[in-house]
Amino acid sequence: MIANLATRSRSARLGSLALVSILALGACGGDSGDAKKAASSAPAGATTAASSTASSAGSTSASSEASSASSPAASTESSSSAPAVDKSKKIVVGAANFPESEILANMYVGVLKKAGFTAELKTGDLNRETLSKALEAGEIHLTPEYVGTDTEYWNKAINGKDAPAKATPDPVASATALRELLAQKDLVAYEHSPAADQNAFAVTKATADKHGLTKMSDLSKVASTFTLGGPAECPTRPFCQPGLEKTYGLKFKAFKALDPGGPLTMNALTDGNIDIGLVFSSDGGVAARGFVVLEDDKGLQTADNIIPVLSKDIDSPEVKAALDGLSAKLTTEALSELNKQVGVDKADAADVAAKWLKDNGLA
Amino acid sequence: MNFWRDVINWFTDPEHWSGTDGVPHRLWEHLQLSAVAVLLAMLIALPIALILGHLGRGGFLAVNTANIGRAIPSFAILVIAQQITHEIGTKPAMVALVALAVPPIVTNTYVGVRAVDADVRESARGMGMTGAQVLTRVEVPLAMPVIMAGIRTAAVQVIATATLAALIAGGGLGRYIIDGIAQQDNVKLFAGALLVALLAIVTELSLGRVQRLVTPGGKASGRPVVAEVGPAGGVVELPS
Repeated sequence: MIANLATRSRSARLGSLALVSILALGACGGDSGDAKKAASSAPAGATTAASSTASSAGSTSASSEASSASSPAASTESSSSAPAVDKSKKIVVGAANFPESEILANMYVGVLKKAGFTAELKTGDLNRETLSKALEAGEIHLTPEYVGTDTEYWNKAINGKDAPAKATPDPVASATALRELLAQKDLVAYEHSPAADQNAFAVTKATADKHGLTKMSDLSKVASTFTLGGPAECPTRPFCQPGLEKTYGLKFKAFKALDPGGPLTMNALTDGNIDIGLVFSSDGGVAARGFVVLEDDKGLQTADNIIPVLSKDIDSPEVKAALDGLSAKLTTEALSELNKQVGVDKADAADVAAKWLKDNGLA
Repeated sequence: MNFWRDVINWFTDPEHWSGTDGVPHRLWEHLQLSAVAVLLAMLIALPIALILGHLGRGGFLAVNTANIGRAIPSFAILVIAQQITHEIGTKPAMVALVALAVPPIVTNTYVGVRAVDADVRESARGMGMTGAQVLTRVEVPLAMPVIMAGIRTAAVQVIATATLAALIAGGGLGRYIIDGIAQQDNVKLFAGALLVALLAIVTELSLGRVQRLVTPGGKASGRPVVAEVGPAGGVVELPS
């Protein structure tokens, strides 16, 4: 009987799944089983087989849930090669471990080369912590940063974990605060770009056209008929529901807990399950799906405009001119489109950056 | 100690017992979703497994096919169902839960029917019972404890897994767990987990009671099974 079952298992080609049923069928005895076997003896075996698979199925789904919930582990690996402190105008540009940072770093390299500098890109599994330490150590000289997030990074690093926040919805004020903090570490920040990667609320093009929506305050007439989608923490976070109510006086018809600007929110927006969703303003998905990001006209969100942060060693009028020229031309929409090309169309970050620089007369 | 006090406070706060996010509403959503999923799974699984079990063929394939639903993590089914249905909340969750509930019902029903003593089946036929009569009057009553065990397993799994619906904007008790994680509110998270665990236990116990009620010859039924199976009842070995 075992051989018989094994043959059937091979034909069923269901691998280990079959084992469960072999156990179950084995327990019942099948046609060839002992005819005198009491009917009541089978149930025990069958139930055991069923419940053992039940627990394994349960743990599978539980572990996949856990892994999806956990955030990507932050790398603590520090950059290895340490170039000598720059004297010959060789500038090392560090990029963080996500496409947007790589695109921006490639752009920095491009405009510096155009200005006659020798510049090279340093990538790897780098995050804000490792990049900032490498900047302080002179291992890299320049990196693209976000004005609000970096202000808070240095604020906490210098003034302690519980230091009151210095980042604000005003990018100018945040940039000033950032420069004050960076000065204590012999670092410099140039002009911030109008391009920003921050929390924003988006609607579909059709919704925007239908209701004439371009900025958040336009929502006041329609909010009561709109369903808002966002991360599950939205109902308790100042940047989300409470802020929308306090700053804009917006009360939505309903709230759907989805993900923080991820595919679930974007799909729900496209499918019409929600009318407005929380996204990251420069996300490639925004460009890919043609969403309209509503302007935060009353300044609810902490500004996270792109800003070049560099070490004092390479601070010079030529470097400043090159980077400020780039920052001025970059927009959130352009960045979203470039993110789409890398994230959605799988283009190379260096190619995408080079092409954009060329199209905009910067390379 | 503070944590346990916070949990008790959470449960005694009247705010948590009213409105859309209150326990009664979330519990109702959870029960509704779970009950419909199990009933749908029964509608799909029982006829197939009973017929295949009665005929004694195709069961291996049916059991294994059903088990695919169990091999794919419910979370994956949920995400795929979301993208296929273009819906959020209940509908995609229902797909994942039905896929989870079908396998134990198919397996246990098929196995239960096959396990009926061949002599008993033979006697029933010898008495002139038709195939349908053998199935409904002999095989199903005798297999009932195993069939019910499958349904009970399915129901408890579904109750526990229905929490996933909250990941795609669904309701139910999972809302407390998912929101608790997102809002770093461990008290809410724990309260949600506790409610789901309690519901699963209550379900297990009450279905156990139902199982005894529907089992011929079971202590709760108090009816002689002889009447159920007709004149041949005398030869039936009753499962305790």
